[in-house]
Order: sequence, then C-alpha cells, then structure tokens
Amino acid sequence: MQSLVQPPRAAPLAEPDPEHDALAALARGSRDEALAVLMREYGAAVYRYCRQMVADDDLAQEVHQMTFVQAYEGLARFGRRSSLRTWLFGIARHRCLDLLKMDRRRRRRFDPLEAAPDVPGPEQNVEDRLAERSRARVLADCLRSLAPRVRDAVLLRFQQGLSYPEIARLSEEKAPALQIRVSRALPLLRRCLEEKGVAP
Amino acid sequence: MSRCDRFETEGLLLVEQELPLGEHFSTCPDCLAARAAHERLRARIAALGEEDEPPVGWQARVWERIDQRRERRRRGWAWWLVPAAVGVAASLAALFLISPPGGLPPGLRVEIQTGTTIHRGGRVGEAQPGDLLLLAATTGGARHAELRVYRNDTELVLRCSTESPCLRRGEEMRATVLLDVVGRYQPLLILAKKPLPSPAPDLEKDTSAALAAGADVKLAREIVVR
Repeated sequence: MQSLVQPPRAAPLAEPDPEHDALAALARGSRDEALAVLMREYGAAVYRYCRQMVADDDLAQEVHQMTFVQAYEGLARFGRRSSLRTWLFGIARHRCLDLLKMDRRRRRRFDPLEAAPDVPGPEQNVEDRLAERSRARVLADCLRSLAPRVRDAVLLRFQQGLSYPEIARLSEEKAPALQIRVSRALPLLRRCLEEKGVAP
Repeated sequence: MSRCDRFETEGLLLVEQELPLGEHFSTCPDCLAARAAHERLRARIAALGEEDEPPVGWQARVWERIDQRRERRRRGWAWWLVPAAVGVAASLAALFLISPPGGLPPGLRVEIQTGTTIHRGGRVGEAQPGDLLLLAATTGGARHAELRVYRNDTELVLRCSTESPCLRRGEEMRATVLLDVVGRYQPLLILAKKPLPSPAPDLEKDTSAALAAGADVKLAREIVVR
C-alpha cells in the first residue's frame, strides 16, 4: 500500500544572487567584501561595455578599473534606488563619456590622427568563427560611428540587457526618449553594416 | 514597386516600447524581413565583445589603487601645506637645475604633487582636492608664451606669461596651481608672436581664437579632480 504522505522534498539549491550577497556584505559593514562580489560578478560585463564604448584597450582597462575604484568609494552611500548592477553601469557610463569627451576634444583640435587602415589579420581567411569575429569588428566600427550617447544607450540596452527604466535611471534621462534614440539608431546600424558588406 | 519601410519608421519603436505590432507587420513581407534583420542585429550586439576579458590581475590593480587612495586620505592634506610649499620650491629648483640648456622643442609637461610626493605619468590624470598641479613648459624660442589652466572648460584658473605665478627662465616656464575644487582641469601652453587678446574664458573659443591668430597651442593631459 502506498503512503499518502509525500516524503519531504530536498530544498532546491538557492541560485547565487550577487546583489543579495553584496548588499549583505554592505549591511555587515564590509565594503571590501561587497566590492569583491561586484568585481567577480560584473567585472567582465563592465569591461565589455567599456571596451565597446571607448574602443581602445588601454583606455578601456583604465576606465574599467576606475569604475570599481569609484564604486568602492560610493558603496558606503549606495542608496538602493536601483540595483547595484545598474548603479555600477551608471559609474562606468560616466567615466566612459568623460573619457570620450576628453579624447574627442584633443583629437579634433590638436591631434588629427588618420584613421588606421582596417588591415585584415592573418586569421581572416580561416573560416566561420573568424568570419564571425570579422563581422563583430564591422559591427563595432558601425557602433563607433554613432554619437557616444546613442552608442551608450544601444550597448546598455542590447549588450548589457538593461531595461529602459534602468537606463533612464542611470543616465537621468526619460525612458521614452531613450526608446526613440535606440529605435532610430538601429536602422543606421543596419545600413552601416550593409554598406560594409555585412548582412545584418 | 517600392519597399515598405514601416517596420523601421513605426514598428521598431513599438518593439522597443514593448507595444503590440499591428496586423500589417505580420503580413507585410518587407516588414517581416526587416523585423528578422532587427532581431539578428540585436543578437549580434548582445554577443559583441563576448571574447573580451579584462586583463589578468585587474582586481589586484583595483585594490592597489584603493589602498593608494586610502593612504592619501589618511595622511590628509591640510598638514602638509607648509612642507608642500617647500617641496614645490625644491622640485621647481631641481627641474631648473637638471633641465638641459636651450634648444628644446616646445612642449608642456604636467605633474601632480600630493604632499611631498610627485606623481608622474598615467593616461588619465587624476587628483584630489588639495593636490598641486605642476606645469613645466619649453617655449621653443617663441616670442610670446602663455600658460593657461581651464577648469571645466569655462573658468580660467591660471593665465600667465612672464609674470607671477609663472616663473620664466630662458625658454623654460614653470607654474603651480592648487587644485582646490573638484572638476576637470585642462592645462595648455600657447606660443605666439605677440600677446593674445583677453580670453573669454572658454576653452573652445579661446583656443580657436589663438589658432586663428596663428598661435601654436600645446594641450597637456586633462586632470580630473574628484
């Protein structure tokens, strides 16, 4: 005879929740621990965003590190008006835009650099995966042709998957304005890709 | 027959607003194709930089920078104002003494002094309130040379040529600015045949005016004080 009493199920393992872990560390007064969680969980994502924003390895590394240095200093005052992830991207965004502004001004007036020719790497003849890398490079070029604030909104929305309300909060802009900006940018990107011979 | 572009002009915004697309968009072949292309583009952007990883050891470098800042803060800045003045004088004197004589190409170098420590290099200049900005320029034999520092592009916190606070000796110029307020500080050197008109002050306008007057403008790296 079967028992009608169900055996107790093993409790499902809790998913790691970096937001919770970092906030708990903050509540314990450990900024170091909170920052370690943020670096571990979001370090790569912030780097990828910075890399596409500033389009330069050295600058991306600099701005990436400064983002976390500044995050450390701001953690004590973190007001929980957004998730830590959104807040972190807000810092990264400011640093990237500052850097781009500085760099643009300098290049425009004093250091007109010729655009580096797009020299095909030796790996470009090696099929699929590298062809994809080549397409990604073209897309990165096209993204660079967008104004920094437009590029920023496109990356935060699609590369980082932030919602419009989240982007609006970190950029202090209105979500509908961001939606319009992104929806206008996508056809530009599509055309840019087509002009460079890449089907979107 | 012309291609229907309603997906790009209307549909995209509806997608971004998470609003339902009208019936047209589910029957029009051009719109269906455009939507598919849009989805592929979104996926491409999402995958962009997937292979990019921050350099090995970056976390250690972040901690190192945090420690440096802690240390600077711990020392504070008020107590060293007097020794700092002595330090600045000594470093300026040393710079004069070790600089090779004449014939140097025009240029502008900046350094940040915290307490008695001088920080050189770094691609993105950073400082804290209370730090000193040391400027060292070579004029390359220009008849008129001017050092300027703009704060946030619109405030002129330093402008001098041969008078104080500039120290000029032959083709070399030195000046020091106390970075007392947070903001972006842009140091520059202007070399011209004659003195330039009064600045606006506005970094963009002033440098454009200087260039239009035939001057040579050397821009140093910007310093961000926070």
